Amino acid sequence: MTEPIIKIAHVHKSYGRLKAVNDLNFFVEPSTCFGLLGPNGAGKTTMMKMIYGMARRDSDPPGTIQVFGFDPDTHELDVKFLSGVVPQENNLDEELNVWQNLHVYSKFYGMHRSEVDPRIDELLELFELSEKKKSKIRELSGGMKRRLVMARALLHTPRLLILDEPTTGLDPQVRHLIWGKLRQLMKEGLTILLTTHYMEEAFQLCDTILIMDKGQKVLEGSPQTLLTENIESYVLEIYSNEAAQAARSIGEIKGIRLDDTLERPFIYCQNLESLQTYAKQLGKGGYHIRQSNLEDLFLKLTGRELNADQ
Amino acid sequence: MRTNSIPSLSSRLFSVWYRHMLVYTRNLVSNGLPPFLEPLIFLAGVGLGLGKFITSMEGIPYLQFLASGLLVTSAMYTSSFECTFGTFIRLEFDRVYDGMLAAPITVNNLIVGEILWAGTKGLFFSFAVLVIVTVFGIISPGLSLLAPLVGFLTGVMFASISLTVTSFVRDINHFNFYMTGFLSPMFFFSGVVFPVSSLPKVIRPFAEIMPLTHVVRLIRAFCLARFHPTLWLDLLYTIVVILVFGYFAVRRLKRRLIL
Repeated sequence: MTEPIIKIAHVHKSYGRLKAVNDLNFFVEPSTCFGLLGPNGAGKTTMMKMIYGMARRDSDPPGTIQVFGFDPDTHELDVKFLSGVVPQENNLDEELNVWQNLHVYSKFYGMHRSEVDPRIDELLELFELSEKKKSKIRELSGGMKRRLVMARALLHTPRLLILDEPTTGLDPQVRHLIWGKLRQLMKEGLTILLTTHYMEEAFQLCDTILIMDKGQKVLEGSPQTLLTENIESYVLEIYSNEAAQAARSIGEIKGIRLDDTLERPFIYCQNLESLQTYAKQLGKGGYHIRQSNLEDLFLKLTGRELNADQ
Repeated sequence: MRTNSIPSLSSRLFSVWYRHMLVYTRNLVSNGLPPFLEPLIFLAGVGLGLGKFITSMEGIPYLQFLASGLLVTSAMYTSSFECTFGTFIRLEFDRVYDGMLAAPITVNNLIVGEILWAGTKGLFFSFAVLVIVTVFGIISPGLSLLAPLVGFLTGVMFASISLTVTSFVRDINHFNFYMTGFLSPMFFFSGVVFPVSSLPKVIRPFAEIMPLTHVVRLIRAFCLARFHPTLWLDLLYTIVVILVFGYFAVRRLKRRLIL
């Protein structure tokens, strides 16, 4: 049996009186993608930063973090050497061109001169940036900048890639391109830890997801298992006032769950026929029935109302 | 393809220094020319104007007195700007440090690398002034060729002080207090423009506390080839300031960078 790449046990992190991470536990197996999901302020980025040594866990109560068997608090360099990090922001050097941005980082990783140029060319080709090799950073689109940050994180061929919201703000074409590249890298043996707000991204990439809220684990498992075990298969989504009023007057009946926390109610049911029968009582139009997805599960678990950090 | 081991300490420090050098030299004309032009303008102004009224200071031509002081003030200013505004922008606006610290370097490496880079800029700026004053025959070559080493020391010292200041600053505009409240008075009261000995007795101890006073003495010794045993005390003071402020800079910025 292979050893997990990351082991997190009873980890806590506080900022003053705020508990950002509260007794978190999880494992990340090699060559898999593990996703941390949660609303803003859930503690995802803090957890990630603790993994690569940019945040220190609380010493009381004591918890453990092991990455490749190293504790990031005491073996920061070992962990960073084996990992690549894509932070939330594209912190590229604006004064340097695309090639120079990668070249500078080859120094940070102590790469041999002979391996730098071929590796840069390989990564630029992988992320479809070869033609932009000499371009200035301000000449790149948001998607290109993001791909360049990913190329930078992969420069030293890490065994673990840490991605903090890798595709936020990018158009669907770029998102799909990045997902494709990440799948390719996973096939080659790379382990990925990512945070995301996009449920589709989590569903597409992750072998395991951990949904967290207010610093705590809410659920963990494979996306498909979580869906099967924790939410009804179908949802009736209402978008007209008339249908909404009708649904409220009917209320919940056996086997039907009404989520009425926001402007429009959502009606969940395990059985499609039952939901279709329910829908007929709402009048004509103003709704549609679809399969439940991770977003429905996410909202069910973390609530539809905004918290103070959102 | 993987490199086999974590880069050595010297490689890690060099990588920080190299990043700054590469960024700085991208705009070679706008970054490299002013260090040569500024002393030219300053000395022209003093030579054509003030120099006619003040011919000598402490027994040496005034232009020579002033020029030797300018070697360290140029190092002081470039280092201070680099480690206040420059560091703050990298820390808070461009978030460059977040990227650098995701690579195998520690905060200690990062800060020491910053200080060494600022020292290098100090060396370059004092060298630029030296070139101008030597070309115009104000300071004769010889031992003065070693003066940029004091420029390096000055850069390192003001980098340590400035980084400590930066560790407290939350708003970039607050650096104005440091510039006008600390650096500008030092320019006038540390023996650059006139000797500390001509200050009123009550002010003289304050001038002795000023870090610039000590590097002015050191650089003037090299420029004028006038050495005195008390220069060891100036050197010691400079090293102590570097160590004390360097320690606080690392300690405080670590708290800011590692959550």
